Amino acid sequence: MSMVPSRNWTNSQDRCDLKGSRRDRGETPLAPVISYLNLGQNVMNRGRSLPVVFLGPALVVLIVLALIPTIYAINISLQNRTLSAPDSDYVWFANYIALFSDARFLNALWVSLKWEVISVSLTMITGIGLGIAMFEAASPRWRNILCFLFIIPVLLPRVCAAFVWKFAVHPLYGSVTWPVRALTGQTPDVLASPNSALFTVAFVDVWQWGLFFAVIVLKLLESLPPQPIEAARIDRIKGWRVHRYITLPMLKLPLISLTLVKAIESLRSFDLVYVMTRGGPGISTETLDMYAYSQGFIEAGRISYASSMAVIMLVISILMFSTIWKRIGT
Amino acid sequence: MKLLFATAGLSAALMGSASWAQAVCSEDLRILAQPRDGLTLLEDYVDEFEELSGAGFEIDYLNENDRRAKSQADASTVGSYDVYYVDEANLPLFASSGWIVPLPGYYPDEYDYDDFDAGMRQVATYDGKQWFAPIQGGGDLLVYRTDILEAAGIEPPKTWDEYKAAVEALNDPAAGIYGTGLRGQRGSGANVWRWLPLYALHGGKWFESEDTPINIEAATAATQEYLELFQYSAPGTQTGSFDESTGAFRAGKIALLVESAPLGGMSVDAAQSQVVDKVAFLAPPAPLAGSGYAHGFAIAAAANPTDEEKACAGLFVAWSTSKEQEARRLEAGQPGELTRTSTYQSPAYVEAFGQNLADAMAATGNHTQVLFWQDPRWQELGNNWGIKLEELITGTRTDVDGAVKELDEFARSL
Repeated sequence: MSMVPSRNWTNSQDRCDLKGSRRDRGETPLAPVISYLNLGQNVMNRGRSLPVVFLGPALVVLIVLALIPTIYAINISLQNRTLSAPDSDYVWFANYIALFSDARFLNALWVSLKWEVISVSLTMITGIGLGIAMFEAASPRWRNILCFLFIIPVLLPRVCAAFVWKFAVHPLYGSVTWPVRALTGQTPDVLASPNSALFTVAFVDVWQWGLFFAVIVLKLLESLPPQPIEAARIDRIKGWRVHRYITLPMLKLPLISLTLVKAIESLRSFDLVYVMTRGGPGISTETLDMYAYSQGFIEAGRISYASSMAVIMLVISILMFSTIWKRIGT
Repeated sequence: MKLLFATAGLSAALMGSASWAQAVCSEDLRILAQPRDGLTLLEDYVDEFEELSGAGFEIDYLNENDRRAKSQADASTVGSYDVYYVDEANLPLFASSGWIVPLPGYYPDEYDYDDFDAGMRQVATYDGKQWFAPIQGGGDLLVYRTDILEAAGIEPPKTWDEYKAAVEALNDPAAGIYGTGLRGQRGSGANVWRWLPLYALHGGKWFESEDTPINIEAATAATQEYLELFQYSAPGTQTGSFDESTGAFRAGKIALLVESAPLGGMSVDAAQSQVVDKVAFLAPPAPLAGSGYAHGFAIAAAANPTDEEKACAGLFVAWSTSKEQEARRLEAGQPGELTRTSTYQSPAYVEAFGQNLADAMAATGNHTQVLFWQDPRWQELGNNWGIKLEELITGTRTDVDGAVKELDEFARSL
């Protein structure tokens, strides 16, 4: 862009011609400067419009795919629409008020919160722990082999992973429960107890994402400059303290980003919960999305009521992640 | 029933001759169904239907819950499917909402609707009319291990008390054998489905009047009895459904159980069962009623606004559930998808599955009843009760009286 004005000023012949012609036309000597400034203004205007040109199509796609369904969901949530009746009326905030006296909804909120905390924290602990272990103990060849193995679980579709582990923990035929059966004669049914059911589902989630994050953490550690670590070792700092005080603080921002990615991903664990427990036993693993789906499609066809839950989930997510993001930024 | 069909047939004739006699489909039919081996087989014969009707068909498959959700959404909005796959749980909703039309008038006589199993026909009836032609269904069978009963010197139980005594006596976890297999997983079609015969056994009925949506004494007694029996149910069934309980039986872990009739054919199929030569069948022990269920094809209302289009869809419903298609399913070894009494009594059926199963299948029809509440709100009520029942089964809660009271309150709120 800057080539256009500079060519005018560097070419003396052009400059002389310009001067001559302007004098002839009675223009002031400052005319070239003004002309240059106008030219620069046009360039700047064009510079401002470029982002719009580039972002426009993406924004249109985003509006069509995200904004319109969101507005539609908000609109539906203010009505009393059910799948069985074509007609509906606006009931405004009645669905939202009803939600807060619905014990099952409050339970689903609590389960979703527990699920977020458990799945995100266990995934990060596993990812960081295994990543450091590979960095410290594995040769480059073993690191490659382990990275390849650790990536496989996350490549499996959620539903497949859920089925595989559901069979693996079956009390009668499961390979995981086999040692207990062989040693004690007991048949542990981990999906039949509220706490063990939630932790079993969380385990599958960590199996998929914790191992994948371990690979990312390893690659992050490998990308760090070696000098601070070598300096620390020269100062006889050993073992976990190198990572506690040197590497992990250096990786603070990428690790926070990973945590946020996992937190968002954990909000979408419907398929895992649905296949493994269907929200049971009872409602002990029924997350918010699972309850909304049940109300909307499995049990009652109350799509307005289900939409109001989806809207609340959206608002909580936006508030939560905006706050966290802001705090990290400051 | 014949009178109903005759009347409807006459009405159709008055409207402009028997519409199916000249049923020529002008466009390919769109069908929404859930995966069934028999339907996959049916797709091999699309040319046959094209020759018969002048048009082909295309089936979209979704699993049960998604199929229910999608068909509800489609029927209540755009109506893009000509034929819906309907089941006992959503028939009242589809029929009362006017999303499907009754079969009489559009189901050709020559396809012999009355040949379908009596229990399945009963399930396909709502408000005195027949709404779908069964693809799968039936009542319950008592399925037992002959070797285990013989070794214990126990006669196959004929009564409910004998059955309970046998379950208790044969439960031997140390030997890897469990007395029975029940369903614990929440859901109107899961744990509630197996609880329903006990509710009926204790005299329970749904909505006898506005003031008595449920019979509290019967519900309490049925629940206590169900929980007592669960002490002898195989591990994994506490949060499992049909697949888990029948899977445990077919793996040789269960002595006897009362389950939906398709278990009969599955347990004598060597590809699916490890107890092929050690299994026998009876009708459910008296006075326990069989929990009748059926899935089938129904004519969509919105996508078929004219009589000609309804007749075309009716022809597909009849052809796809005909005796010929049933014979093909039998030949292909698909025992879970047989629906006609003529099939159960045929030499081919006896040859494939044995006389014992043929007799039991013929006998179980007399025990089969519609035990759930035939109302569009049944899914909501049944699923709500399923959650409480699962909590009781897994020990998350222990107050049977409190759970039944909550069921009563919920039923009143509907």
